[in-house]
Amino acid sequence: MSRKILIVEDDAATASYLAKGLGEAGYSVETCRDGRDGLFLASEGIFDLIIADRMLPGLDGLAMLGAIRAAGIATPALVLSALGTVDDRVDGLRAGADDYLTKPFSFAELSARVEALLRRTDRSSSETQRARLSVGDLEIDLLGRTVTRAGRNIPLGTREFSILEYLARHAGQVVTRTMMLEKIWNYHFDPGSNVVDVHIGRLRRKIEDGFATPLLHTVRGAGYRLAVEA
Amino acid sequence: MRFSVTVRVALLALALALISNLALAGFVWQSTHADAIETLGRETIERSDALVAVYRAGGLGALDATTEARRVGDDSLIAAVFDADGRRIAGFGPARLGAPHPIAFALGDLGIERGWDAREAGYSVRPVGARWLLSGRLLDNWREAQHGIERALALSLLLSVGLGLAGGLVLARYVSRRLDLIAGAVDAVAGGDLARRVAVVAGGHDAFDRLGGQLNTMLDKVERLMTELRVMTDSLAHDLRSPLARLRTKAENAALQTDPAPRDAALASLLAETDIVMRMLATLLEISRSEAMSRDRFTTLDPAALIEEIAELYAPVLEDAGIDFAVQAAPAPGAAVHRELLSQAIANLLDNAIKHGSGGEIALRLASEPAAIRIEVADRGRGIALADQATALRRFGRLDAARSEPGAGLGLALVEAVSRLHGGRLELGDNAPGLVARIVLPI
Repeated sequence: MSRKILIVEDDAATASYLAKGLGEAGYSVETCRDGRDGLFLASEGIFDLIIADRMLPGLDGLAMLGAIRAAGIATPALVLSALGTVDDRVDGLRAGADDYLTKPFSFAELSARVEALLRRTDRSSSETQRARLSVGDLEIDLLGRTVTRAGRNIPLGTREFSILEYLARHAGQVVTRTMMLEKIWNYHFDPGSNVVDVHIGRLRRKIEDGFATPLLHTVRGAGYRLAVEA
Repeated sequence: MRFSVTVRVALLALALALISNLALAGFVWQSTHADAIETLGRETIERSDALVAVYRAGGLGALDATTEARRVGDDSLIAAVFDADGRRIAGFGPARLGAPHPIAFALGDLGIERGWDAREAGYSVRPVGARWLLSGRLLDNWREAQHGIERALALSLLLSVGLGLAGGLVLARYVSRRLDLIAGAVDAVAGGDLARRVAVVAGGHDAFDRLGGQLNTMLDKVERLMTELRVMTDSLAHDLRSPLARLRTKAENAALQTDPAPRDAALASLLAETDIVMRMLATLLEISRSEAMSRDRFTTLDPAALIEEIAELYAPVLEDAGIDFAVQAAPAPGAAVHRELLSQAIANLLDNAIKHGSGGEIALRLASEPAAIRIEVADRGRGIALADQATALRRFGRLDAARSEPGAGLGLALVEAVSRLHGGRLELGDNAPGLVARIVLPI
């Protein structure tokens, strides 16, 4: 059964772009134009994810989200907004959004975040407390904070370990640079240099050098993916 | 009813002149009058004493002779002797004195006789044996002199009204002329002539000059802000033009590609170019936001931890670039800061150091002063000459040497805006060689 996504967006061009892209990615999508309809549809509780514009006619996105949360519906929500400063994002997250994306955005960024949000819901219902993560022959011991590949111990720094843990928790999914900056470093700005790439490069050397198959793949125009197959 | 300022100033000046002159005239009149009466009384008593002595020594004949002799020089003098019933026996004076009794000194008419009852005099009546000696002075001339003084005072009051009116008008004209000059300049500036200033007399230090000077300072600031705004808008348009032009070229190029591989490459570089424009706008927005942000976004944290986090983020980048990275975070007291913006400011300084540091060592330092913390990023590059510092700090300000490199010229402008948001400042200094950029935050 495909995942159901509700898009609440008053701009027709953005809405159809999202609906088309997400539809092609295999989601079943429903769209509506304003906050009141959005609230009405979301109240049914049948959606796996809500993507809402922050500024909507009728009822604005954050107010709608507040009403949905007040009704006891915990469907994850991604807020889209043209308001892109650090404080706007923080406000959005405080208002009950699970993630916040500034317009304009790349579809790769959106789809990576959608996938991450959907995966998080699954994880919280099935695999809450895990002591180990594994991707192929890579084993991560979350309690002992050790990493082995094919039985060989790989020493990692604290930050390298948290990056690897984050990638492993999203194994098989695309993780973007901004997602990593937000989740691992808790920075909501965009450092000019390719800082994330450098950190990934070092981690990659440690977990791939001396092994036959690559694990940490670069997804061009989007980010990175930790997976056995390319 | 409201008068114009001119009329009101004139009326005020008039009223002030009138009040001061009235007070002056009143004082003059009062003091001359009282002095004159006092002198008259003293003289009368003295003369009366002298006449009593003459009468006692020489009798009526001597008194008469003395009176006659005195009246030759001054015909207002009175001196007469009356019997117990008030009939004149000798001397000059009224023929009868009604019910004589001793009077030290009095002002008034002398008795009941026609011709004397209307004439005022200052006089004294003294008993000499069974008789009475009257002496004094008729006040006909004295009264006249008093009236003369009163007339002069009244005339001077009238004059003061005229002068006050004239002075008031002159003053009012002067004030309104000076004010019109100032108002004219303000109107001209409001009308769009930003270069107009209030004409200030060289070396003039009166209130109008000071007002004009202060107004000119304000107008200078307004003009500077307007110019800054225009330059800002112009350069925003200009600086957006080049990435947009590149964007357009790349879009056209991508549209022309038929093979999938080159087209993908062209599209990728199109996206990268778009990201540059977006980042530029985001930074610009962040700058203008940070110039008007409340401090409730601030959190109290350990500055050393913040420095170490950002150093940890950048350390691998510098290491890969083969740059020595020295981090010194001295313990500092907790400070209320905007974590994200301050981190971004430090990241900008590090980015600049990497870009312009010519590959030499880069130092990130945190130092604590009694009332401030200093966050320094020092490189070994070309540095920024003192003359170029203002340009480097300005939005879109790009030094000639950096024009060929990618960038929007917003980095240091954001750092400065963030420093100001924290009530601090950004200082640029010489690292001999290289640049040391210092964020100084008060705590």
